[in-house]
Amino acid sequence: MDSGSTKTEDPRREPTTFREFLASLGRPFVEIGDTVRGIFAVFGLTLYYMVRGRTRWKAIFEQLHEVGNRSVIFIAVTLGFLGMILIYQSGYQAQQITGDLQMLGGLFLQLLLREFAPTITAMMLATRVATGMAAQIGSMVVTEQVDALEMSAAQPIDYLVVPRFIATTIMTVVLSIFAVLVAYTAGAITAQLSFGLNVRTFVDMSFIGWFDVWMGLTKAVAYGMAIPIIACHAGLNVFGGSAGVGRATTAAVVNASLAVVILDFIISGAGYVILHLVS
Amino acid sequence: MIRIENITKYHQGRPVLEDVSFTIAEGSNVGLIGPGGSGKSLLLKIVCGLVSPDGGKVFIDDVDVHSLTPQELADLRFRIGMLFQNYALFDFMNVGENIAFPLHQEGGFSDEEIDERVKQALIDISLPGIDHLFPNELSGGMKKRVSFARAVIRRPPILFYDDPTAGLDPVTSSKIFILLEKMKVEGGVTSVTISHDIQGIKSICDRFAMLEEGKLVFLGDHDEIEACEIPVVSKFWQGYSDDELEI
Repeated sequence: MDSGSTKTEDPRREPTTFREFLASLGRPFVEIGDTVRGIFAVFGLTLYYMVRGRTRWKAIFEQLHEVGNRSVIFIAVTLGFLGMILIYQSGYQAQQITGDLQMLGGLFLQLLLREFAPTITAMMLATRVATGMAAQIGSMVVTEQVDALEMSAAQPIDYLVVPRFIATTIMTVVLSIFAVLVAYTAGAITAQLSFGLNVRTFVDMSFIGWFDVWMGLTKAVAYGMAIPIIACHAGLNVFGGSAGVGRATTAAVVNASLAVVILDFIISGAGYVILHLVS
Repeated sequence: MIRIENITKYHQGRPVLEDVSFTIAEGSNVGLIGPGGSGKSLLLKIVCGLVSPDGGKVFIDDVDVHSLTPQELADLRFRIGMLFQNYALFDFMNVGENIAFPLHQEGGFSDEEIDERVKQALIDISLPGIDHLFPNELSGGMKKRVSFARAVIRRPPILFYDDPTAGLDPVTSSKIFILLEKMKVEGGVTSVTISHDIQGIKSICDRFAMLEEGKLVFLGDHDEIEACEIPVVSKFWQGYSDDELEI
């Protein structure tokens, strides 16, 4: 038996000096930094394996079905009700102030395209899809299936994350377009029934420009990329058995929702700056 | 040859492996024993690069495992098979797909060749015709045997068995050990087996290493461990305890 002399100091031991105590106060911020760095590392590797790895069409189609088809009713119900509520509330306000509802449909469509359709769809996907991804990958981690993937010479990012990334990005765009149609149709019906507004008056495209479509699609793509990366990162970093899977699913939905809000702010801000520069 | 040099690993501030060093010669079958929580499974995961150590190095055929790029590590793993403690069968694949998975990853096999090898693997583990079943339809013993078939399907020169008989009844355990013994008899395989089944591990290993609280407390062959006078080793090997349990 050999007896080596290499000793390594554990950086996570309890603080013994005042300096170490101060360092421990900053640990939460370091952990947030680690999480963000980890998410970007997963994103970078996902892009790398999209280019260098094998394209698994079967896995991509399974995920397209899981993310897309299985979310259709959920999105339809949510956006349908949202369309009805928004038109009823805004129509009521407009009636109180000006009494003119001519522009209601046109402005509602603009708002849907720019903001509500992609953002609410992404929020819904963050709750339904991100939790599922984090729980599935997390349980694979705790049952050593991810280790078994690695021992079979498969890269977990390539095998697990890439198909989910591609499918969610595509389906967020598709579902956002679907959300516009559902919410606008629900809004048109509500306007007709509540305020007697003719559908032909409600359907007004005059407010819509390339900027609205561009901003809506950009947001949908950005959300569609962020949600699976954050969810898979949470799943791959599970530790501590089934309790860890629970923590990962919570982290996935919280972080994915936060990412949607932050990306919404950034893309909206950048979009208005670009629009200002162009015009 | 596998060379483990001064491996140290901490968990939540506590050392779980401390300065572990030993060498596994090519073609030898090492039994890694020790009480639960002594760091055996962790050491095995460090050896095959699944977990990074906080200190020390692992060399497989003079290649530093933890300095490899992911692609180089994947290439190295084509030569390693691992039977996991909790089966680790992919629950979204059926038995046939599970066993065939390492062959698909390696590439260069025709579909007919893969089908043929999967069929033969299922015959070898005495479970022919179950390739369409999913892992949740199998018993613990069947899962272990399928996991074994997946580990050896590439006929790797290095095999790691992490507690191959954990939670199995004695009859199923003996079936598993017969499979492991068959691999040993066929020869040319370097293996490390973690097990608490001393009788079983005696039949398939020619050298033994014992871990106690993360430290290597014994390394030697069958005769040496039989004659070992280190109390913790002899007690574990013979399976008795001085501690009295009040009932």
